[in-house]
Amino acid sequence: MLAFRSEAHVDRWCEQAGRERGASFPLATLSRLADRWYRDRLSRDWRRRAPREAEALFAEFGLTGPFWSFG
Amino acid sequence: MTDLDTTVRVAIYERFVEDGEAPSAADVAAQLRIGAHDAADSFRRLEDAHVIVLMPGTSEIWMAPPLSAVPTGFRVETPSGSYWGNCVWDGLGVIAMLGGVGVVETRCADCDEPMTLGVDGYELTAGDGVAHFAVPAARWWDNIGFT
Repeated sequence: MLAFRSEAHVDRWCEQAGRERGASFPLATLSRLADRWYRDRLSRDWRRRAPREAEALFAEFGLTGPFWSFG
Repeated sequence: MTDLDTTVRVAIYERFVEDGEAPSAADVAAQLRIGAHDAADSFRRLEDAHVIVLMPGTSEIWMAPPLSAVPTGFRVETPSGSYWGNCVWDGLGVIAMLGGVGVVETRCADCDEPMTLGVDGYELTAGDGVAHFAVPAARWWDNIGFT
């Protein structure tokens, strides 16, 4: 997962390298997702999320659809 | 995963945060007073469970997400120390894991302009821009280094 200055920079990067566009959203959203995903990682009680749990978390941030499904 | 694996996992992260570099299986074995082979076996079980990632063909840690054992394009500064994140998500994740205050230094993947992402109180306070995920979730672990 890479950082870009804007959506236009994502478009140009994909176009120049012939890459398929994936999913993009604001870094502020990613920061909140990173908080939910990682804040408890040092706890002994941490458990890896089951795929459905991860998908439910993504959905809280509007990240839905096949791209965000673990299949 | 066993109770030992949980104990080993916690020891890995504690040492990684404290030292700023990934511990070896021998380091963890000495800390927990267990055999080096037992620690290495636990490392492999943790990798199988997608908890950590080892350097291919070794028992050396490559990633203990969000931390990277090797330099990346995502430098993270926090009050606890300086680290590398595996990607921009993980760079922000290091800050979340360590108290919600810090800075990720990276560059725009397109134009190479420096980007400074500041976080305070678990909120992004500096750093406009977007994150791009190239790989769908279902394929993240096919090649986690690329993801």
